[in-house]
Amino acid sequence: MKDSKIRITFLTALIAAGSIFSVYAQDASTILKQMDNVMFSSKDMSAKNKIILIDKSGKQEIREATVQQKGTDKRMFRFTSPASQAGISVLSLPDDIMYLYLPAFGKERRISTSAKNQNFAGTDFSYDDMESKPYSDKYTSKLLNIETNVFVLELTPKVQSDYSKIIVNINKTNYYPELMEYFDKGNTKIKEAHYTFKKVGNYWNAQEIEMSDLKKNHKTKMQMSDVKYDAGLTDDDFSVRKLKQ
Amino acid sequence: MKRIYLFLTVIIFLSVASSLIKAQDSIATPQAQDESKLKISGELLSDERLLLKDKNNWVWNENRLTLKFDKKITDNSKFYSEVWLRNIGLPNLTTSSDLYNKGIIDPNNLEIREAYIQLYGFLTKNLDLTIGRQRIAWGKADKLNPTDNLNPLDLEDILDFGRHRGSDAVNLNYYLNNNFSFQGIFIPFFQPANMPVGIFANALNPTMELPQGMVLKGYSDVLLMPKYNLGESAIVGGKFKGIIKGVDFSLSYVWGRDGLPFDTRNTFIPVDTLGGITINSQLSFARTHIIGADMATSIAGVGFWAEAALFIPEKDIIMTNDLSALYPLSPVPVTMDTKLLDKTKPYIKYVVGGDYNFSDGSYINFQCLHGFIHERGNDNLNDYFFLRYEKKFFNEKLKITPVGGGFIVTDWKKLKDNYAIVYMPEVSYKATDNTEIILSTVVFDGKGDNLFANLRDYNMFMFKIKYSF
Repeated sequence: MKDSKIRITFLTALIAAGSIFSVYAQDASTILKQMDNVMFSSKDMSAKNKIILIDKSGKQEIREATVQQKGTDKRMFRFTSPASQAGISVLSLPDDIMYLYLPAFGKERRISTSAKNQNFAGTDFSYDDMESKPYSDKYTSKLLNIETNVFVLELTPKVQSDYSKIIVNINKTNYYPELMEYFDKGNTKIKEAHYTFKKVGNYWNAQEIEMSDLKKNHKTKMQMSDVKYDAGLTDDDFSVRKLKQ
Repeated sequence: MKRIYLFLTVIIFLSVASSLIKAQDSIATPQAQDESKLKISGELLSDERLLLKDKNNWVWNENRLTLKFDKKITDNSKFYSEVWLRNIGLPNLTTSSDLYNKGIIDPNNLEIREAYIQLYGFLTKNLDLTIGRQRIAWGKADKLNPTDNLNPLDLEDILDFGRHRGSDAVNLNYYLNNNFSFQGIFIPFFQPANMPVGIFANALNPTMELPQGMVLKGYSDVLLMPKYNLGESAIVGGKFKGIIKGVDFSLSYVWGRDGLPFDTRNTFIPVDTLGGITINSQLSFARTHIIGADMATSIAGVGFWAEAALFIPEKDIIMTNDLSALYPLSPVPVTMDTKLLDKTKPYIKYVVGGDYNFSDGSYINFQCLHGFIHERGNDNLNDYFFLRYEKKFFNEKLKITPVGGGFIVTDWKKLKDNYAIVYMPEVSYKATDNTEIILSTVVFDGKGDNLFANLRDYNMFMFKIKYSF
């Protein structure tokens, strides 16, 4: 009798814990989807991009580019300065198809997906960080904490990634990310990104992302301006034909 | 034929003019006006090389100012030009009269590399037209492209693989959709390749074997250029390209002319009784059909590419050695014919290669090439293996290439006497955003008669500085 009571108590506790965990897990995925909605809900976007590289002594280098994006898997990135990089363009298409256009060669070049192993154009952003694929597609989420202004989620990659996990702080009111902390396979924090969002029309726009590489003690600020949403970009704007123009 | 050509030229000219005039009206907003301003950019390059041996003779001096002019004419058209202003070569003074010639003391030249107008959505929204001097770069391999046969080769600097000059051409691209397109090229007149200069001047010349007892005392040649008409001089090309299941591919055809001349007639003339002779040669450029194919894709992160071109000479290329002058009593001309190229035996040049980027910032690139740019005919195509490993440091400011170069085999059966090795390590440093300093050496070694083994006395140190503006 005593045994069965213990068994019932244990089972009840297990079910209760499971339910709580499931509620948390469900909440985490809902929160993450909300964040995806905030970040990736526009049909298309075009903007000017200012990239500021800051080394450990505070010395800055500035690169400028234009970026166009359609949906979550088509992107055209064109450098406009400095002169040594002006005209270099990268077209990213679905299924990890990427083309690079170097004006000196006068033709597009298909680039291997291993290019994503490296940082994007000398910045502290990896190609993965630059991708606009929804986080809920790439990561499973777990709610770690609910703080005064933010939900704290732990994201674990579903597919191969350089990161073992990402801890993200999501604004409770507007569901945009405020901080992302990236951990390597050894569970050491290697990078962190601070986001500043601003509303442009109906959408929240990441006006500035400051990515810090904690190992190299190097920072990259990515600032967006002249942002236009839903301007009616078509698939033709994300073609090799356009890349070369 | 002439009338058709004239008619087509007039039609194209009128269409281009009307497109430009119509679209000019659309530029109105201040932003559009700002975008349509002429943009001038460019690069200053200083390229200096000296030999590693002896007294470290200076062997290359090039100071090149590249100017690029880019003007958006309308939303659907632009003008682009690239001009080189150069001081190239070392002063080659031999007599006092040369001191009066600034061109010899300080050799300079100006080159219009490209100058064209591009119209997007010309006549129909899926058609783009580029007209004028332009580089039409074909091929998916890295720098060594057997299918890249429209523009003449620019062999001035033999170490700058794959450099071509621009051609005056009409270039039409028709896009069926975003995945498939057709390209049609018309180049009205043929321009041959320009040959290497300076220490590389004889690098591509074949060695001449004379019959026993003959001593070459003099040599002259005549270049038989094709006539400047459609049938003899024009070059036509077409390409279909697309992407299927993540694989980029293209199929191409060129009705072209080999830009390197063949020695088609040698007339031997005795000049003394001791076997001394002079040779008068005739050189000509062979009409060739070139069928090409290439592909590129990425599998498990590794980039793969392959490219091949089948060269079919329109006629047999025969070299005739005329020895009649050596046999004055012979009632018939004494000649010996050697078939250099057989139209029934096409030859294939190909490249396969791959590359990979590692997460630590390093990059590896490998290519295997059958048939270098100057090699023609099945029996003369050699195998080249190129490898490059580079690693970037300090946010891509410093790039070190400890492994760079190639291994060349000219005869697999007698490998130890028929090979070459080229080793080209390099360090490049971005001193500022727009300034790059490159230090490298090139070491040649090998045995036998091949391009790189023949350069084994020219191991050199190279210094380049590039400033972009």
